Amino acid sequence: MPMLDEKVMSEVKKVLAAMREPVTLRLYTQELECAYCKDTHTLLDELVEANPLLKLEVIKFDEVKEDAAKEGIDKLPAIVVVGERDYGIRFYGIPAGYEFSALLNAILMVSTKIVKLTDETKEFLAKLDKPVHLQVYVTPTCPYCPPSVILAHQLAMASKMVRADMVEASEFPHLVQKYSVQGVPRTVINEKWFVEGAAPEAMVIAKIKEALLDA
Amino acid sequence: MLDFNVLIPETAEPDKLWDLIILGGGPAGLTAGIYAARYKLETLLLEKSIVSGGQLTATQWIENYPGFREPVLGKKLAADMEAQAKHFGLKVISENVQSVNLADEIKEIETDYAKYQAKTVIIATGSSPRRLGLSDEQKYAGNGVSYCSTCDAPFFKDKVVAVVGGGNTAFEEALFITKYASQLYLIHRREEFTADRIFQDKVFAEPNIKIITNSVVTGLNFDLQVGRSLNLQNTISKESSELEVDGIFIFIGNLPNTALFTQQLELDEGYVVTNRKYETNQKGVWAIGDVQKGVLRQVATAVGDGAGAAHQVNKYLVENH
Repeated sequence: MPMLDEKVMSEVKKVLAAMREPVTLRLYTQELECAYCKDTHTLLDELVEANPLLKLEVIKFDEVKEDAAKEGIDKLPAIVVVGERDYGIRFYGIPAGYEFSALLNAILMVSTKIVKLTDETKEFLAKLDKPVHLQVYVTPTCPYCPPSVILAHQLAMASKMVRADMVEASEFPHLVQKYSVQGVPRTVINEKWFVEGAAPEAMVIAKIKEALLDA
Repeated sequence: MLDFNVLIPETAEPDKLWDLIILGGGPAGLTAGIYAARYKLETLLLEKSIVSGGQLTATQWIENYPGFREPVLGKKLAADMEAQAKHFGLKVISENVQSVNLADEIKEIETDYAKYQAKTVIIATGSSPRRLGLSDEQKYAGNGVSYCSTCDAPFFKDKVVAVVGGGNTAFEEALFITKYASQLYLIHRREEFTADRIFQDKVFAEPNIKIITNSVVTGLNFDLQVGRSLNLQNTISKESSELEVDGIFIFIGNLPNTALFTQQLELDEGYVVTNRKYETNQKGVWAIGDVQKGVLRQVATAVGDGAGAAHQVNKYLVENH
């Protein structure tokens, strides 16, 4: 039985019909010690069937460890959504439940290059000269999480200085421990600053500014 | 079991004059949208999240919505309502409203990204969880303090948690959280509970739930990740005590989401004052669902409000435009 049933698949086809430019989903995977690598691989295999502009590239993590590290890939499964270039848009863990929507959004964004950010945010990003790493911790059942992930990915799309990760909390307990995640969404900025809940764009930007000042 | 939700934020052209703008995509707003779309009104629904359904999406099971003999998943009911509304032509976009002008003939709604105009407005902004009001509460939100069990309960697998509240939400959510937690304390400030008896019976039968009545939480000792506790005070004896927990879920009712309307609508304790036709004190503006003063706050009543208000709007537009 397919992971994406007929009904979901037809919805996916409908939304991905808006794609313009080709998008590659780069999946980093390994056979052992990765609870969701296999499921994620199956999911993406099925997903790329939805539109010919969508391609899947499967990379065995063991074989490219060092190169992957340079791109910030440090846990599995990892999906990098690549368009004209790698914009720094990453998913760690399976993008299921509500996060499947966040993945579709990332694909559409990279494909159409349309980001929905305020002029103030765009101005801030244009002047940004220090690296910003956003990690948005989520669970697949959290309805408030996709907006935080989508916002982070938009910031990555709009600025070369920003890298934005969705992290599926239940698959990475050591990180949940490290960043004291007991509620989602929780956005970690440059390892040390936190935003709780589905904060609006202006609030996230304010927190990023705070993090950069303090650094 | 994995499921996959397909929700893509749409955009709406800002220059259009809409017949109706609905603020809020919970069951009340979505039902108004279904009815309005079937009246062929040009209708735009603004929802701040990309996931419509409001509090439905944060509720695990709905047991008292007619037509579902088996409990229905809140998020499934929400997704189906939205799909149904869109099927009839409702436009749903995910934008956060910054300000509104409801006084004039043409209503203006400004979001983070655009300004929209409409002949009529239905307010269905619902309510948000009430805070306990402790000084550290905000600091530990997402790190030990939670208002959403479907979001956060999995973080408390085999942990000890407290649930505060005595109403339906507290009891339903306690039953859900106890699937994860090893021990759950249900803390309530009174002796009696307002939760429906059917929930009370289930909670009392649950061996891992211990009830603490006549008690309020007065402090969070959450500085460390381990060895956390709550300060409790008995409301009768005034005695203080400490209760070891790993986290706390708070379900002590809701506050209306009406900050946008304080200068423009008649409010009472924050709730929008409406009459039996859902009319507010502004011409061309209706309010439905949880945001109204003095109503039962249920999915079943919200959808009834939605249908009723859409009917009023249609009548108004036929007569006035």
